[in-house]
Amino acid sequence: MGVVILLVMAAGVAAMLTRKLPTAFALVLLAVVIAFLSGAPLTGENSVLDTVLQEGAPALAATMVAIILGSWLGRLLDETGIAGTLVRKIVEFGGDRPTVVALGVLAVSALVGTVTGSAPAAMLAGIIGIPAMVAVGVPKVTAAGTVLMGIAVGVPFELPVWQFFSTALDLPVDTVRGFMVKLFPFALVAAVAYVVIENRRRGTEHAWSLKSVAAKPAPRRERLGDAPWYALLAPVVPLVLALGLEVAIIPSLLAGVVYALVTTTRPGEMNKRLLRTLYGGFEVAAPPLALFVAIGILLAAVKLPGAVEALEPLMKAVSPQNPVLFVLVFTLLVPLCLYRGPLNVFGLGAGIAGVLIATGIYPAVAVLGMATSYNQVFGVADPTSTQTVWAAQYAGVSPQQVMVRTLPYVWLVALGGMCVTAALYL
Amino acid sequence: MTLQDAPATADPAATDDIGWAVRLLAATPTHEHRDPELLRHWARTADAFGAALAPVACSARIVESDGGLAHGLLARYTSRPPTVELFTDTIALAERVVDARGWRAWYPAGSVRAAALAHEAVHAHLHHGPARAALKRALGHHALRLGRLRVPGHVAGAEEVAAHAYARTVCGLGRSPLLLTAALATEAGTGNLPSSARDARREN
Repeated sequence: MGVVILLVMAAGVAAMLTRKLPTAFALVLLAVVIAFLSGAPLTGENSVLDTVLQEGAPALAATMVAIILGSWLGRLLDETGIAGTLVRKIVEFGGDRPTVVALGVLAVSALVGTVTGSAPAAMLAGIIGIPAMVAVGVPKVTAAGTVLMGIAVGVPFELPVWQFFSTALDLPVDTVRGFMVKLFPFALVAAVAYVVIENRRRGTEHAWSLKSVAAKPAPRRERLGDAPWYALLAPVVPLVLALGLEVAIIPSLLAGVVYALVTTTRPGEMNKRLLRTLYGGFEVAAPPLALFVAIGILLAAVKLPGAVEALEPLMKAVSPQNPVLFVLVFTLLVPLCLYRGPLNVFGLGAGIAGVLIATGIYPAVAVLGMATSYNQVFGVADPTSTQTVWAAQYAGVSPQQVMVRTLPYVWLVALGGMCVTAALYL
Repeated sequence: MTLQDAPATADPAATDDIGWAVRLLAATPTHEHRDPELLRHWARTADAFGAALAPVACSARIVESDGGLAHGLLARYTSRPPTVELFTDTIALAERVVDARGWRAWYPAGSVRAAALAHEAVHAHLHHGPARAALKRALGHHALRLGRLRVPGHVAGAEEVAAHAYARTVCGLGRSPLLLTAALATEAGTGNLPSSARDARREN
């Protein structure tokens, strides 16, 4: 039966790759089929309806709340001009030196990446950051990659991601935080190396573009001006609270929302702005929320006793126990997290992680190390992830060009993560 | 009402060269919320700076290719290795646009190619020499003021305005290449800047 379940998983991957089914729908369908194949009854204990669908759907509720709060804060950073001011100041200070501007945008992207993820994070840093880099001579592919690499630097400190791995892998937040702190230096070094090396290799580029002047004057947005300097600290507030003072994730994010609000908004306008950005945050959060409902359902399915029993011998046979082999095999498998592949942690990879833990093949913290290492690759180089698609298209290049340029760097990050995992937890 | 705010007219020549330079700056990221008068001041300054530049030789390798219209480009300078790429299909279209609009007196035959070379030569000049700092000083923008301390700020897009003004001057054009760029953008269907792609949302 284990082989049949794996074949069903492969069919699910094919459906996602070929875009026959959106990932979230494919994961729910997979979960239901796996549950039936595992011999789960329709209702009752360890059943399809009560366990997989009813209990699985809200299993990642804490992550969903964190996602909503992160998106809310992201909307506030946009609407109050905090993100725009950060990028504008960087261009003003470093505009003569494209590498300096790119490093500055990298830093802003990293800050934004600690708050929110996916396409909204890329937009916050990239809407101004990408054309600003291009305007000072950074080549387009390098500019798009810079925003993505920057977000990936922030991802180890993205609080909703901590919550996700904590809930999905049933690990304390402290454990997740501990590993993320170890993963961060790899992401940082790779990102800085990307900016410096790629700018050096490619040099600067200036184009006589037909798009440089608009035939019609651009519609004037409400003039916001620069946000005050102390408001620019808003993205750091949740991080300082959660990382430095070990405050829980949701209150830390709420504190960030409040800080961004009070430092930029007149008291009479606060209610209106809070509601507007909260509802805007829901809109931004909708796609990941749908995905997290589906992942919760899939995790519930692969943890059913029948599924664990069927998959355990197969997974044990193919999973290396030797630390060196572990690093080699799982680093070589990095491309399988691209294109919605089976190791994508925000897809079937979550299910595979669940199986590895449920069957006891690896300790949960080792699976955390593997999954977070893959997440560093997926978040930057996957040409189907929304942030990559958005950043590439906005820069006027293809997501595949960005993948080719960034993959060597994030592959090394994954290698670093795997080495730490093998050294500490195997 | 400033020129920047003026409604688009059928004849882009109705907008003067500084007006087009203001539009270029207004469309450059980091200037979205700037005072139009400040943009006009910067446009004038950068235009004057470019027009006053001594002639610079283009030492970069020159490559001609087509495919410019597909990318919305007329010419491109890359520093590694120093290369100026001229897009022949866009230049040819520009010459046709000049004829169609009756602008030949402003842009003599062959002047578009010469202007493209001059434009990119200035980018190379600004990239490698001290002229960039001089432009920054001329613009007089400060990124930071702390008491007596003044940190000069970069004005994104000003080099582009200067490069167009230089090309206009050394090639003896009657109007800025920016006017031609705007007409080309309309002709090539790229007149509107790319959307912010805020709606380009897919699953995760």
